[in-house]
Amino acid sequence: MSHIVEIQTEIRDAAAVREGCNRLGLQPPSEGTFKLFSKTVSGLGVQLRDWRYPVVCELNTGKVQYDNYQGRWGDPKRLDEFMQAYAVERAKLEARKQGHSVREQQLADGSIKVTVQVGGAA
Amino acid sequence: MKTIEIIVAPDGNTRVETSGFTGSDCRQASRSLLQALGQQTSEQLKPEFHQAATEQQQRASE
Repeated sequence: MSHIVEIQTEIRDAAAVREGCNRLGLQPPSEGTFKLFSKTVSGLGVQLRDWRYPVVCELNTGKVQYDNYQGRWGDPKRLDEFMQAYAVERAKLEARKQGHSVREQQLADGSIKVTVQVGGAA
Repeated sequence: MKTIEIIVAPDGNTRVETSGFTGSDCRQASRSLLQALGQQTSEQLKPEFHQAATEQQQRASE
């Protein structure tokens, strides 16, 4: 049987956050407490390009906290890019852990396709 | 060939499609990937699912 599943990405894996930052040429993430404009949050902080405050990943809930003042303190596209980079790296890490071979392909609409060959040699 | 295709949209949300599996293998094979990525929002069974299910029913009734 075959099926199609839609998934809303949750950020729960520190290794994939690191790989995602590396992929986008960002500084490695750091664990700590970060001040956003009006609140202080703890988690894994990622400094996106040209963002005033970091994006803080709460790995236990899968959510990200940030304050980009509706785009004025940081382009939302940079956050989308990070979410995409994370999901691609997370999928690759998990597939390799299961012993599957993985191929990655950039699509014309900006999506990235990760093909996992189950039971296939790398 | 058994494959799992993960299409990651520019906003990071993903669509996972399995192909070439028989029986419930596809769910088993993709479970860890699905859990790793996040929260499932919808699931759609491909025609092969119904085919496989029908064949299984036929075999069971023989």
